[in-house]
Amino acid sequence: MTLESVALGLPVRVSGFSGMGESDKTRLTGLGLRPGVTVTKILKTPLRDPIECLVGTQLLAVEARLLAQIRVETA
Amino acid sequence: MSRVVALAGRPNTGKTTLFNALTGLRQRTANFAGCTVEKASGSMTSAGRDFEVVDLPGTFSLLPQTEDEHVAFRFLSECAEAGEDLLVLCVAEASNLENDLVLPAGLKAAGYPVALVVNMIDEARLNGLKLDEIELSGRMGMPLACVSARTGEGLDRIDGLLNRKPLRADLSEAMDFRHVSKKKLHVLQDAAVETARGAASASVIWPHGAVLPTLSRSIRIDRVLMHPVLGPVILAATMFLLFQALFTGARPLMDFLSGALGAAAVALRARLPDGALASLLCDGALPGVSAVVVFVPQIAILFTMIGFLEQSGYLPRAGAMVDRALRPFGLDGRVFIPFLSSFACAIPGIMAARTIPNEKRRIVTILLSPLMTCSARIPVYTLLITAFVPAAFRPWGFDGQGVVMGAMYVLGIFMALLLALALKFTSLHELHPAPATVLPPYRVPSPRELARYVWARCWHFLSRAGQIIFTLSLVLWALAAFPRDAARLAPIEAELAAAKAAGSAEAVTAPIAGRLAAARIEGSILGMTGRRIEPVFRPLGWDWRVSVASLSALAAREVFVGTLGTIYALGGESNASDGLVKALQDAREPDGSRRYGLATAASLLVFFAIALQCMSTIVTVRRETGSWKIAALQFVFLFGLAYALSFAAYRLTLRL
Repeated sequence: MTLESVALGLPVRVSGFSGMGESDKTRLTGLGLRPGVTVTKILKTPLRDPIECLVGTQLLAVEARLLAQIRVETA
Repeated sequence: MSRVVALAGRPNTGKTTLFNALTGLRQRTANFAGCTVEKASGSMTSAGRDFEVVDLPGTFSLLPQTEDEHVAFRFLSECAEAGEDLLVLCVAEASNLENDLVLPAGLKAAGYPVALVVNMIDEARLNGLKLDEIELSGRMGMPLACVSARTGEGLDRIDGLLNRKPLRADLSEAMDFRHVSKKKLHVLQDAAVETARGAASASVIWPHGAVLPTLSRSIRIDRVLMHPVLGPVILAATMFLLFQALFTGARPLMDFLSGALGAAAVALRARLPDGALASLLCDGALPGVSAVVVFVPQIAILFTMIGFLEQSGYLPRAGAMVDRALRPFGLDGRVFIPFLSSFACAIPGIMAARTIPNEKRRIVTILLSPLMTCSARIPVYTLLITAFVPAAFRPWGFDGQGVVMGAMYVLGIFMALLLALALKFTSLHELHPAPATVLPPYRVPSPRELARYVWARCWHFLSRAGQIIFTLSLVLWALAAFPRDAARLAPIEAELAAAKAAGSAEAVTAPIAGRLAAARIEGSILGMTGRRIEPVFRPLGWDWRVSVASLSALAAREVFVGTLGTIYALGGESNASDGLVKALQDAREPDGSRRYGLATAASLLVFFAIALQCMSTIVTVRRETGSWKIAALQFVFLFGLAYALSFAAYRLTLRL
């Protein structure tokens, strides 16, 4: 499944990326959103994009479109 | 030769706070060699040894994507190549070690001498974290110190890091980041991630509970500040509060400063003999200084708000909230920081665009940033709004002058969005990249750091504008005072002398003095030049005085106020204590009609909102884009647009 389909508040583990450009992948992994880390969708910002996520020990605002390209599994 | 200490780390780890704590007031700002990224460096002494401390731009990983990140790695490589005695002091946030240890681990593996500063140890205690320093130091293979740069805790331990043996670092095997392949960097990054993960996991004891207290608190606050309805309302209210504070809150201090400097000019004139020196000081220098200094309270309020928003952690959240709204205009949330910085000054705003990795989007941001109402426009707006917007104007019970000031900010934003939309149909358009932004935990801003930030920005405003304005005040005084046409002035001077000798009242001598001053200016170089260019700006409702002042604002927008102040002080139509506002309100044509009205003010306000009237900004655009063509096109286009809209504003206001 992808992070897009996960409900708010449910922790999942990142297993990989699919269909994501190299530049985006580099940026996300550099920020800490990388395979093995636990992610929880927290809330949608007022215009429903980006999405605030708890990624490990930090909060990231991730563009909604990217969520469909992040593969996750149950934590 | 002193040891070079490079402070490296991810953004929001407290690097700059640590830098300020180590170097105190012994700081200077320049640019990194070969580029326009700002370099903050300072000096410190420890155990009798001198150190040069350099605050590197924040870097998220070993894979640089932005100009700032490239500059940080380039600096390290250049130090290695030059054989500098270098120590990299990596700063990591104690509550986010798994991510923040990647950079120090990678730099060490790349052959650089690294020591670790684990910062915000006070916050880690609040989070219930326990850190095994010996285990962490062993796993990372580097010395470390746990500190709180904000409170000063543990800073004395940094001396031990700085003075460790060997006395001089060996950089002969250090990786040259300028020439390394991306594949090698990826391998380095992956290995560093594993090292960081292992070190953090082995040395940090986590509290019970799923989420750290500081993060829980931030999430709870975000549920309010980023609520679908409350969030935008709070953001809009915050911006509106800023605009009202700029007017209502700063006014008492502004009035005090204006009055004090005006009184000083009058007192000084009474003590000096009549002549060129008295005129130079009282009509040139002091009015010019007053025109800048009097607006420092507003600038201080503006920077206090921006600094508070930044240090509290709200700023990136505000950017995230507006991201989606900006996408239809071909922009994204990353313009929020450059645009918001441009509200203070377009120059750091344009330079902040370097955080945008896409070149086309960066150029678009640079082209649009000067449309944000910068602090240099505030003196001009304040003068015109105070002089021509009636104090009785109170729409919906709000201070009307504050509302108009707010409207000027809205106009700048509206023009920027409109032009952004237009740029979507040019070759500068690029599909929206996929951003992800770090949202730092909410923190209470440190009053000391906030005060330091506000002071630095105020001083930057004063020294940047002050030097230009002061010099131009003297130049303008000279242009307005010379040449003296003795034949034209002699009859009026004789008339004034006779009136004074007869003991006439001020009501008799003042108009004669006014005619004398006007004759002096009209015969001067300034007056002659102003009349030559007046036809160009007459359609906008400007006379030669306003035309000259607007052209002089090319040096710095605030010079407009200083120039008018000088012209009217010399004109004798008002003295320094009356103020320029009254001078503009009372200015009359020979037939007795008001020289300036609301229509002229409207056209001036619109012109200043749009035209690129700042040589420093033009030069910065050139430096950041690498192209005089872009800077020239931007200037010409915005001047033409400003002229057209200013004309329209004048004509429309005349009809009201």
